[in-house]
Amino acid sequence: MAINQLFFRKTIIAGTGLFLCIFLVVHLSANCILLLPEETARGLYNSYSTTLRESPLIKIVAYLLYLSIILHVVYALLITIRNRKAKPQKYVMNSSKENSTWTSQNMGLIGTMILLFIVVHLANFWARIKLGMGEVVSLDAAGNVDVYEVTSSLFHNIYYVIFYTVLVIPLALHLHHGFKSAFKTLGFYHRKGLRIVAKIALVYAIIMGIGFGIIPFIVYLK
Amino acid sequence: MQVTFKIWRQEGPKDKGAIRAYEVDGLTEDMSFLEALDHLNELLVLKDEKVIAFEYDCREGICGQCGVFINGRAHGPHDNMTTCQLHMRSFKDGDTIVVEPWRAASFPVIKDLIVDRSAFDRIIEQGAFISAKTGTAPEANAIPIPKEVSDRAMDAAACIGCGACVATCKNSSAALFTSAKINHLNGLPQGHAEEHKRVAEMTYQMEIEGFGSCTFTGACEVECPEGISIINIAEMNARVTKSKVLG
Repeated sequence: MAINQLFFRKTIIAGTGLFLCIFLVVHLSANCILLLPEETARGLYNSYSTTLRESPLIKIVAYLLYLSIILHVVYALLITIRNRKAKPQKYVMNSSKENSTWTSQNMGLIGTMILLFIVVHLANFWARIKLGMGEVVSLDAAGNVDVYEVTSSLFHNIYYVIFYTVLVIPLALHLHHGFKSAFKTLGFYHRKGLRIVAKIALVYAIIMGIGFGIIPFIVYLK
Repeated sequence: MQVTFKIWRQEGPKDKGAIRAYEVDGLTEDMSFLEALDHLNELLVLKDEKVIAFEYDCREGICGQCGVFINGRAHGPHDNMTTCQLHMRSFKDGDTIVVEPWRAASFPVIKDLIVDRSAFDRIIEQGAFISAKTGTAPEANAIPIPKEVSDRAMDAAACIGCGACVATCKNSSAALFTSAKINHLNGLPQGHAEEHKRVAEMTYQMEIEGFGSCTFTGACEVECPEGISIINIAEMNARVTKSKVLG
């Protein structure tokens, strides 16, 4: 029997999606360092990022992360193409709001907004710090690359603050639907368990949304 | 009661088709939706126009033959209901009612509101049965089945194959239908012997028929006249993995 594409592709999307969900928890926890008083935050944040860059284990995780994002996007694109083909003619009138959430109907659109965010986000940080593109990043007093300075100067630009804050909305929506659906895609069908997963998904999406949304503002006001 | 029907008219599979408006008077609130269409067809006959083709059989919510998209919803404005169970009292005097056939690449339009749902039959043919010698029915208590297991199987077996799940799904996924048919048999001892083959072949057929993938919008379980739960799809996914490992 040939490989079942419908399931294989969705399993890849769900698996990589959940991995990215775990990554976001680590990412947000690290971002919380930015909320500390300026000098403590600078020292901690820079030593933390240096440790990450120098750890071989984190290097493997980082490559897994790049791979996950790429697979998540590529397979989402593939299933979207197939799904569009499966419904070539749209309804003249479609009241989909009455039977499903807007988010669940528009995961592709929301995902594209997040992808746009990731591109800008990587250009802001990853390209400067890891690829050495753009303005040279200075060292702090301890001799670590001053990632804090990159963050702080970026979030003193109100346009970036607004951009980062507004784009947590699609992120939170995407996480809410994606998190709970991933479990079903991966074959978790315990009725009560799924109700708990749905609650966790809501709490998770709210924490991620507020967390990532509010930190740029706090840094801006510092 | 007077309403304006905006109905999809399409001469045949190759015809482009378009919405046509019909103002219909003389309806009553007690009429079923299908009776209102009958009434409109009688008026069309008197005017020597072609009648609107639509499917029905039992008109009591059992057979799964009727099924059209009404005002943007599969089987009309109510949750978990067939088209034949819908009555004109669900609409107001002067309303405009848009009626379209199911839309899916795997359900091509035959004429007007009738679509070809034989893709479902071909999925069924792949394994929604048990291979057993026919003859006298076996003694009912010979195979003990716990109540909750038989309840779950019966809930899945309630699927009438109307196609509302595919129609309402933005991806035209047949996951709810196929999962109901798989779980109905795989959950019972009689279905165990062929469980992995059944899962593999029915899901493979679902794929080659051109249905899309399930993205869990949940629209199908709201429109399903039998209220079949979307959890069936999660269970089918688990069974697919199990059949890949053990099958």
